[in-house]
Amino acid sequence: MDNGATMHLAVSLFSGTADPSPEPEFDRLARFAQKAEAAGLDMVLLADAAPASSSDAANRQVPFEATTLLAALATVTSRIGLVAMASTIAHQPYNLARRFASLDIISHGRAGWHATMVQAPREAANFSRPEGFSSADFRRRTEEYIGIVQGLWQGWDADALLFDKGGGRFHDPEKMHLLDHKGEFFSVRGPLNVARSPQDMPVLVLSGFSEHDLYVAARTADVILLDERSAEDTKARHDDLRRRVAARGRDPDAVKVLINVSPVTGGKPAALADRLEEQFHSTSCDGFNILMPAQLSALDDLVDLVLPELRRRGLFRAGYRGTTLRSHLGLAGGGDQ
Amino acid sequence: MTRQMKLGAFLWATGHHIAAWRHPKAHVTAGIDIDHYIRLARTAEAAKFDLLFCEDAAGLREANVGIASQTSRSIGFEPISLLSALAVQTSRIGLVSTASTSYNEPYGLARTFLSLDHLSGGRAGWNLVTSASQIEAANFGSTGLRPHADRYERAREFAEVVTGLWHGKLDGASGSGGHDGQSFSVRDPLDLPRSPQGAPVMVQAGASDVGRDLAARTADVVFTAAQTFEEAKAFYDDLKGRLAAYGRERDDIKIMPGVAPVVAETEAEAREKYEELQELIPDDVGVALLSSYLSIADLWRYPIDGPLPELPATEGMQSRQALVIEQSRRDNLSIRQLARHFAGARGHWRIAGTAVQVADALQARFEGGAADGFNVIPSYFPGELDAFATLVVPELQRRGLFRKDYDGRTLREHLGLKRPL
Repeated sequence: MDNGATMHLAVSLFSGTADPSPEPEFDRLARFAQKAEAAGLDMVLLADAAPASSSDAANRQVPFEATTLLAALATVTSRIGLVAMASTIAHQPYNLARRFASLDIISHGRAGWHATMVQAPREAANFSRPEGFSSADFRRRTEEYIGIVQGLWQGWDADALLFDKGGGRFHDPEKMHLLDHKGEFFSVRGPLNVARSPQDMPVLVLSGFSEHDLYVAARTADVILLDERSAEDTKARHDDLRRRVAARGRDPDAVKVLINVSPVTGGKPAALADRLEEQFHSTSCDGFNILMPAQLSALDDLVDLVLPELRRRGLFRAGYRGTTLRSHLGLAGGGDQ
Repeated sequence: MTRQMKLGAFLWATGHHIAAWRHPKAHVTAGIDIDHYIRLARTAEAAKFDLLFCEDAAGLREANVGIASQTSRSIGFEPISLLSALAVQTSRIGLVSTASTSYNEPYGLARTFLSLDHLSGGRAGWNLVTSASQIEAANFGSTGLRPHADRYERAREFAEVVTGLWHGKLDGASGSGGHDGQSFSVRDPLDLPRSPQGAPVMVQAGASDVGRDLAARTADVVFTAAQTFEEAKAFYDDLKGRLAAYGRERDDIKIMPGVAPVVAETEAEAREKYEELQELIPDDVGVALLSSYLSIADLWRYPIDGPLPELPATEGMQSRQALVIEQSRRDNLSIRQLARHFAGARGHWRIAGTAVQVADALQARFEGGAADGFNVIPSYFPGELDAFATLVVPELQRRGLFRKDYDGRTLREHLGLKRPL
């Protein structure tokens, strides 16, 4: 059981990696994920940016869209959580819910969806909406969207599949539920045509909030990512979030707060360990999302130098206890309990 | 070199036979078991199949929950994620997934398939469908199905944008200014490098007149359902004949009709195997399936041992409806007989026999100018895919009709398709 004494650690992988290597791109990324797994990290977050500008696009080196990359990485890892960013503009909610439900089964309960509350500039223009959405519309639409996705993820009860060849009953129709959602932006009947998640539901990671959005996070998120600010500010936001989570009738520990950290490369490992320890205590956050620089080899320093130091101080667990991402994160419904 | 046939391995749930999941040797948990699919992919790759094929629908197959619960088709993997997983667990075989032009946007679809193409080193293909099911429509805010012609007009524009993105021809920087059309607008080029095979392979299966025109304009591969040699040949000649109008050559499209083989050491064994599956079909399930092919809801109202009633024209799968009606009249079949027949092979050509008999039948259609290859539709998994791979493929190889090893690395190379400029 997670008692909050040890931190959760994620690493974020961005699309513009820059190690010169003759190795196929996927093999490099697979080694990265395997190294993070060997180190016992909770999860790898896969970014999936829409093009910021046309000239930038041509220089991208990782040629993969995040959900497809997640599926491939799932087959070459066995414990680490895999979270893909996917845009609410680029996908219809039914398709997105279905993709992640499938990824969760492929990975045996290690998948998560990273949604952002911020509208990517330019993106809507590639999806037949040149005018985009107003901020207020985007916020209401995202809230509705997340509700649909999580609703669809619960369309099949955990014991719905019977596989009864002799009796001719594949599933129990009473344990399959329509969503019948009719809202401002979407109407979705459901259910998904993918079975229930091995970890109950894929993990929902949210980022990019303004203060207005905390109520959405309080209701729906499993993990939220906050940018690094002053300790007082972060602690105040965290406390606010916990109050809101409790007000929604959820356990305040049901939402894990990770702070985005950019490690200073070349610094002393003990210095990063000090920084994480200090923030972990002063902000009462649940852990960190380490933003990897362009060189994947930066993971080596983290794993070989910083993690042993954190473990020596009793701040990071020795290894995985369960097999699902929910279980790594100490979230309910992990499938391992 | 002599012309060789192309082979697809059509993966679907526990098998294509509606009662496949009840077969004692069927892998009943296929829909939640990725290792099962990795084994199937490796079986097909070891047998040198050109491609794996996944069909798709963004919704349940059957609206009646009681009927649906007696089939294995209500749950399974979403095919893009499935094929992305298989891409890095295989090295040569092509990976083709179905995706709808009605419930996606071209930019996202082009990007996703291009990513699959990169993960697989140039082995991806997209099977374009326009989606004909009301059940799917209800998952996408629609109150009803679009008329057939509208669906195809949207599909035509969709395909044009996707291929434009793949070919790097929608690059705003190059002066073309993206795409601003009737149904879609796109501003930027894709943020991924060009495909290792030039562009993913374009596949289609629509067989209506407007579907054939769209295929003639854009497809590299066409899947089709044809019961008899004459039907297959007529379709083949018609489609190849449409290519010149689009400045294309006859060999620019590979036509691969579906074939549902039941193979065994002896013909009697093969028939027995087939009957064993047929016996597992509940009547209500068979009739419901037949109803879906006919795009009507109330077939169960009619006497099961009587003939098909007169049917209204459909906005759904027009060509499949025509095929069922044609067969019911030709063979004078009752609703029950038709239901069982179509439940068995889903309207595709069924052959039960020895490896030699199956190879003979395939050879006759291939050499008779009715097919460039076949999309193999195993009745249940893994058994019938294994049987085809171990019995029929060696026989085809012995006759020089199928490759003994892959010559190329990409799907376009396997299929003998030109690399787009």
